Amino acid sequence: MEIKRRDFIRIFGGASGAVLFGGCGLDEVFKLPDHLVEQAQKGPGVETWLNTTCGMCPGGCGMRVRLVDGIPVYVRGNPLHPVNRGGMCPLGLNALHQLYHPDRLTGPLKRVGKPVVGKWESISWEEATEFIANALKDLRKEGKSHEVAFLGHDERGLMQQHVARFMKAFGSPNYYRFSATQNGDTAHALLHGHPRQPAFDILNTKLVLSFGANFLEGGYSPVYYTKLYSHHRERGTRYIQVEPRLSLTASNADRWISIRPGTYGALALGIAYIMIREELYDADFIRNRTFGFENWTGHAGVKHLGFKNMVLGNYYPDIVSEITGVPSATVLELARELGNTRPALVIGGQATTDSTNGVFSLMAVQSLNALLGNYDKEGGIYFTEDLPLASLAPVQQDALSRKGNDEMPIGLSDENAFPLTSFSVESFVKNVLADRPYPIKVLFLSGGNPLFHSLNRHDFSEALAKIPLVVSFDSTVSETSEYAHFILPNHTFLERWEEVSNVPSVNFAHASIQWPVMTPLYNTRHTADVLTEFAHRLGGSVASAFPFKDYVEEIKHVMKGVYHSGEGAVVSEGIQHLWMEYLKERGWQIGRYASFEEFWNLLLERGGWWNPIRRQNRRQRMFQTSSGKFEFYSQRLKTTFDKLSKTGSKETSYNAELILNKLNISARGDTVFLPHHEPVPYDGDKPLHLITFQVLSNRDGLSSNLPMMQEMFGYSVRRFWESWIEIHPKTASMHGITDGDWVWVESSIGSLKVRAKITQGILPDAVAIPFGLGHWSSGRYAKGYGVSPNSIMRNLHDLLSGKPALEATKVRVSLATK
Amino acid sequence: MAKWAMVIDLDKCSGCGACQVACKMENNIPVVDPEEAARDRVMFWMDMITTYEGEYPNVQVRRMPKPCFHCDNPPCTKVCPVGATYKNEEGLVAQIYHRCIGCRYCMVACPFTAKVYNWYEPPVFSENHSTFNPDVSKRMVGVVEKCSFCAHRLIKVKEQATSEDRRIRDDEYIPACAEICPADAIYFGDLEDPTSKVYDLSRSYRASRVMEDLGVEPKVFYLSKRVT
Amino acid sequence: MEMNSVAASDQDEVLYRPIYETQRGYYITVGILMLIIVWASFMYFTQLRDGLGVTGMNQPVTWGFYIVNFVFFIGISHAGTLISAILRLSKAEWRRPITRMAEVITAIVLAIGGLHPIIDLGRPDRILNIFESGRLQSPLLWDVTSITAYFTASTVYLYIPMIPDIARIRDRGGKLKWLYTFMAWGWQGTEQQKRVLNRAINILMVMVIPIAISVHTVISYIFSMTLQPGWHSTIFGPYFVVGAIFSGIAALLIVMIAFRRFYHLENYLREIHFKYLGTLLLIMSLMWFYFTFSEYLTGVFGSEPHEMEIIMYKFTGPFSLAFWGMVACNFVIPVIILSFRRFKTIPGILIASIMVVIGMWLERLNIVVPSLANPRMNLPVGIYIPSMVEWSLFLGGLAVFVLGFMIFAKFFPLISIWEIEEGRKEGVEEVKERIQSYLPGTSQPVLVKKSKKRD
Ligand SMILES: Nc1nc2c(c(=O)[nH]1)N[C@H]1C(S)=C(S)[C@@H](COP(=O)(O)OP(=O)(O)OC[C@H]3O[C@@H](n4cnc5c(=O)[nH]c(N)nc54)[C@H](O)[C@@H]3O)O[C@H]1N2
Ligand SMILES: Nc1nc2c(c(=O)[nH]1)N[C@H]1C(S)=C(S)[C@@H](COP(=O)(O)OP(=O)(O)OC[C@H]3O[C@@H](n4cnc5c(=O)[nH]c(N)nc54)[C@H](O)[C@@H]3O)O[C@H]1N2
Ligand code: SF4
Ligand code: SF4
Ligand code: SF4
Ligand code: SF4
Ligand code: SF4
Ligand SMILES: [Mo]
Repeated sequence: MEIKRRDFIRIFGGASGAVLFGGCGLDEVFKLPDHLVEQAQKGPGVETWLNTTCGMCPGGCGMRVRLVDGIPVYVRGNPLHPVNRGGMCPLGLNALHQLYHPDRLTGPLKRVGKPVVGKWESISWEEATEFIANALKDLRKEGKSHEVAFLGHDERGLMQQHVARFMKAFGSPNYYRFSATQNGDTAHALLHGHPRQPAFDILNTKLVLSFGANFLEGGYSPVYYTKLYSHHRERGTRYIQVEPRLSLTASNADRWISIRPGTYGALALGIAYIMIREELYDADFIRNRTFGFENWTGHAGVKHLGFKNMVLGNYYPDIVSEITGVPSATVLELARELGNTRPALVIGGQATTDSTNGVFSLMAVQSLNALLGNYDKEGGIYFTEDLPLASLAPVQQDALSRKGNDEMPIGLSDENAFPLTSFSVESFVKNVLADRPYPIKVLFLSGGNPLFHSLNRHDFSEALAKIPLVVSFDSTVSETSEYAHFILPNHTFLERWEEVSNVPSVNFAHASIQWPVMTPLYNTRHTADVLTEFAHRLGGSVASAFPFKDYVEEIKHVMKGVYHSGEGAVVSEGIQHLWMEYLKERGWQIGRYASFEEFWNLLLERGGWWNPIRRQNRRQRMFQTSSGKFEFYSQRLKTTFDKLSKTGSKETSYNAELILNKLNISARGDTVFLPHHEPVPYDGDKPLHLITFQVLSNRDGLSSNLPMMQEMFGYSVRRFWESWIEIHPKTASMHGITDGDWVWVESSIGSLKVRAKITQGILPDAVAIPFGLGHWSSGRYAKGYGVSPNSIMRNLHDLLSGKPALEATKVRVSLATK
Repeated sequence: MAKWAMVIDLDKCSGCGACQVACKMENNIPVVDPEEAARDRVMFWMDMITTYEGEYPNVQVRRMPKPCFHCDNPPCTKVCPVGATYKNEEGLVAQIYHRCIGCRYCMVACPFTAKVYNWYEPPVFSENHSTFNPDVSKRMVGVVEKCSFCAHRLIKVKEQATSEDRRIRDDEYIPACAEICPADAIYFGDLEDPTSKVYDLSRSYRASRVMEDLGVEPKVFYLSKRVT
Repeated sequence: MEMNSVAASDQDEVLYRPIYETQRGYYITVGILMLIIVWASFMYFTQLRDGLGVTGMNQPVTWGFYIVNFVFFIGISHAGTLISAILRLSKAEWRRPITRMAEVITAIVLAIGGLHPIIDLGRPDRILNIFESGRLQSPLLWDVTSITAYFTASTVYLYIPMIPDIARIRDRGGKLKWLYTFMAWGWQGTEQQKRVLNRAINILMVMVIPIAISVHTVISYIFSMTLQPGWHSTIFGPYFVVGAIFSGIAALLIVMIAFRRFYHLENYLREIHFKYLGTLLLIMSLMWFYFTFSEYLTGVFGSEPHEMEIIMYKFTGPFSLAFWGMVACNFVIPVIILSFRRFKTIPGILIASIMVVIGMWLERLNIVVPSLANPRMNLPVGIYIPSMVEWSLFLGGLAVFVLGFMIFAKFFPLISIWEIEEGRKEGVEEVKERIQSYLPGTSQPVLVKKSKKRD
């Protein structure tokens, strides 16, 4: 840390950076537009509470906003909302800080000059939209509509449909959602035949074995899972956390099992070995509902290796212990405890998929659930009901859009890397730089901050700089939107309409409406409406794909489906004691409403609709694999590989080998298509694994621009506004590092300097750096604080899904003489 | 007279920190400059005490949210030269910001390090609008502050109750931290009221108070399988 | 009477000299001191402007240098009045040239020390609240009272015995006659006046002793009344008093040696004075050790975890240097120097005294900071690095002390002239009588010889 001006002044006793950024006295932390200030000063102080849905993360908690004279002053959880039952996480509580953020864009911007260094000039919506619409028109006229790409974030539900619709009508196959909650998708698709995130019935299970799923701190809905967790005492639920680091979840678990990063596929299979040997698995589920457990004979009488023998052949506990560093005795204990407890649940998290072998690892973890016959079972795994939403009229494509959609998507990987994904940032970047198969002329960026997260910053920024027209919808300038030519700022979630339904991994169907608790502070517009406007400016079939006056009407339209279905009910008065229990006792009678308007108003007033009752006739939809069963042996994977090897020459066997080598898949034969452990290609010379984790107060770096979240960043280790590296005392003393020292962390990519946190809570040959800080843009409170581990990560990806391999880098640490 | 008390169930608490943030938002507690924070001047009315026990791989982490304990026999108020911190008729230990001369004697005297100090003029929400929550007054440089058990909420509830002349119901007066806790780990209520939750819980076999031996009679109880 | 006094004044001319003539060195020193003081006040201004944030204090170390120096300076102040009172009371003849300096120290240092709690306030602008809504239950209030009492008592106790000397200066005429006339209070040296004077002095010296003791006891109460481990101890009262007298004597010795040198008072302040005071210092050093030892022994023996934490922190932590430094400065070094004839020379005593003063400052530091840095709660150990501002104000305090002394010396004799005379005239006789009064079979010649030897 170089000596800052403030230090200098402080030395001379002057106003040091007294309180937040600035001299002594009145420092302004947030911004309140003048008209609101007046409202606040003149107002009679009337208090109102409005229910909406938290939009700080996809967790989908119900939020209750306190307004005084129409000005939001405080938020709390909505006690009626089934997801969070009044609870909230630190991030959600900071919603107002995002609303009043001083770096918020107050209107559309146009960049003059080069990216990053250039100036931002404000521009009217009309000019901006017109200019962009024309660019789109021209492309379309030339029949190049496919040269437009839309890089979204984690928009779900209707918003996702809305964007997809726009792209389809316009005529481009290039709508991608960077990041967010899709890490498990590939593995799930292979095993279950559909990418849906399973929901875990933690409340009714007796044992939870989690492979690095940090569900109390991260996960899809931390508050939901915290609430479930909080009942562990009276429910007698036991938690076991497998993880190289003592995360918040691990520290709350009854037992923490430390493991070498990137190896818990192996551990899972080691456990499977014992369960199979000692026949601790659910035989009839295996018999009736799974495919590829026993050896089997395919068409043309080809003999195939089954999961059982593959495991028995390769995952003897001692071998597993070799790979994972978990004592074979422990493997044994785990297996027996798991096999002898019913119901028992196995959870895999992002971390499971955070290495080059991610998909295979998660497959291995999930197959334990199959062995336990956990699917669609109390205390097991469910796939949450889809909502009975009304569908939008299908898009009428004209010739141009049909042509455009038929083009090869640019997100596809070059040749045959990442065979199982339609999009990986890595491929996208490569393709854009190489104009392969065609150049990208227009790029839309919505949400997300992909450049900040990229493991390949250099290429990514080149790619962004190369695209002639980049349009971002961010509400504040982020690392990524620095490269935009136009920024058309979206409202913050407190100012906009959004339909939020079925948060992944939540155990029941639910829908909430996010609605404006106030008129927008600034001259911002809803991204959905902006897209609609583009469509209307483009006219023709594109326009007619968007018949609704505005996005609200569209939301109302789909919600009518829910109303008419007569299922579920708008949430009502909360119950003090265990709420899920309560519903079981009491059964569920369906809400009745005189009219849709009544339903709709009630929905807004109460903040949510839900339906905890499952229809029974869902068996067939459970697994959508070609066998209709849980596939230990993934036929989809097999066919994909066959396709790959067919392409080009005839002799497939040779080709197959070639491809396996290309993908660095070490397994051969049927094992390739079974859950198995793929060794991670670490660079040998570095001794320590670098792992990262996401803290509750900072979601993916999303909240790095919120001062209070920056302060809270390391609340559990008393490190405020800064990153730290967790080192085991043994490792530390080996390098003469003591708590609080500055250390250099060096990988083959680069090195960074960060302060040490000595802790017993980490694998001795691993170090952990929290993820989210280290911004070089994204506003005054984010820029220049902490470090981003991604900046020294090798640009590795999951072999199959192309997802960044965040746990596959090794490093060396040394004491920095500051 | 009511005896307001808090019970925190450490077996439920996950250590998520939401209570700390809810408290900061509710009570307009400033976020201090990063360098100040690095110099141990952060301001939490609800603090978080994290302790590691045992050796790898058998490590036990204890996370303990810590508000002011509103001691029934508070050592902090005894030493105040000007009565700027005192135990009010509700049994809450309060601060009078406008009287405090900033000697920090009460901080020194608090065995639980529950108080924080305004080393600089606290920042304001925005130039011409000083605080988020209008019910809680903004503090000034040079005075001590701490958890108030959200006394401003009590005032409102009391008005309500008296206007309907009745006792304050259990669960009616709930501080921000208790209200927000995603694990429902924080209970709040009247120790004198045998029907209240805190009455039962404070008598649970899992209940204990920090440093009972000091005899300051904290009114915050912790529930834990492992006796604290 | 008249002629007598003139004759005397000739004899004691050297004592008047500083008042009438000033060397360049004097001005230079004053200039430097002024600079330091201006700088310090600027530093304090920044603190007023920005808040205590400009200091090195934090949570949990909420008290720092200001409180340390407060205790330290007040301790020093015990040099004077207390010692001079004790000596007067015990009719120690050799006291005569010492008492005034001692009393001056008290007056000045007390003023400085008394300011520190105010410097330490976050809201000095609200200082009046102490009177508007003061709570007598608060040890801080006890301090305010006892310190004010001590200050008034000791300034009066300084002033009263000065009256005859002031009168002399008045009679010599020259500068600021009006001032001296005013302050002399029409002193003519009549028997009547003398009787009143001695009466007043006797009453004061009896009064001042308990006040002085109360002052430091009460200061120790600030700490011992809290529940903080390392503070919550019954021994603190006497412990603080002993420490105070200890540092007081050391300070007195330093001042004596300094002025002896600058103002050539060699034949007023003689070896004998230093030897006596030196012995007193030695005794105090041993007593200090005795108290420290019992304080820590009880701690270590009971080894109550929190107590132990702090004791270990003192022994081995970041403050260990301060701790062991304290032991060396307060005990090892002075005892070695003072108990061997060979080292017990004036330079030796000077070194010992300086050591003691440093050592006692370290002790105050050792009392205040470590206890705060290790709160009972399981928080990370606090750090305390005093800031530029705090150092400057410390320096400023010392500067004011020296300056105060120099200014005093510019207007009044540092040695009580009339008492010296009185000593010459009556002292010898008196002592003779006294000894005769209690020594059986004492015979003139011996005595005469003795007394001869003595001058
Ligand atoms: N508060 C908060 N919630 C979030 C997010 C956030 O950033 N903050 N992000 C959201 C998103 S987008 C996602 S994808 C999910 C991800 O949420 P999770 O799936 O929980 O992923 P992480 O929290 O990144 O990692 C979980 C733990 O895995 C451990 N780990 C790291 N490497 C390995 C390994 O190789 N093996 C094993 N066994 N463990 C390992 C780390 O110690 C870390 O604590 O969370 C979502 N929810
Ligand atoms: N080392 C390491 N790296 C990681 C991970 C890790 O665990 N460790 N996690 C990885 C994973 S799983 C993921 S999902 C990614 C997360 O990567 P991202 O999905 O990029 O997560 P954020 O950085 O939070 O992106 C949110 C951005 O959108 C903006 N934003 C917030 N709300 C809105 C809105 O309503 N509208 C618009 N237009 N913008 C909005 C915010 O300002 C922020 O810049 O990070 C990945 N990178
Ligand atoms: S988890 Fe936190 S941020 Fe996410 S929705 Fe819930 S409250 Fe909001
Ligand atoms: S909010 Fe509840 S769970 Fe979270 S730290 Fe506070 S008490 Fe614990
Ligand atoms: S916890 Fe500390 S501050 Fe709170 S009442 Fe007790 S002594 Fe006073
Ligand atoms: S700091 Fe304020 S409240 Fe605390 S003791 Fe001093 S005056 Fe009283
Ligand atoms: S009771 Fe109120 S003031 Fe005290 S910690 Fe909880 S929220 Fe903060
Ligand atoms: Mo993610």
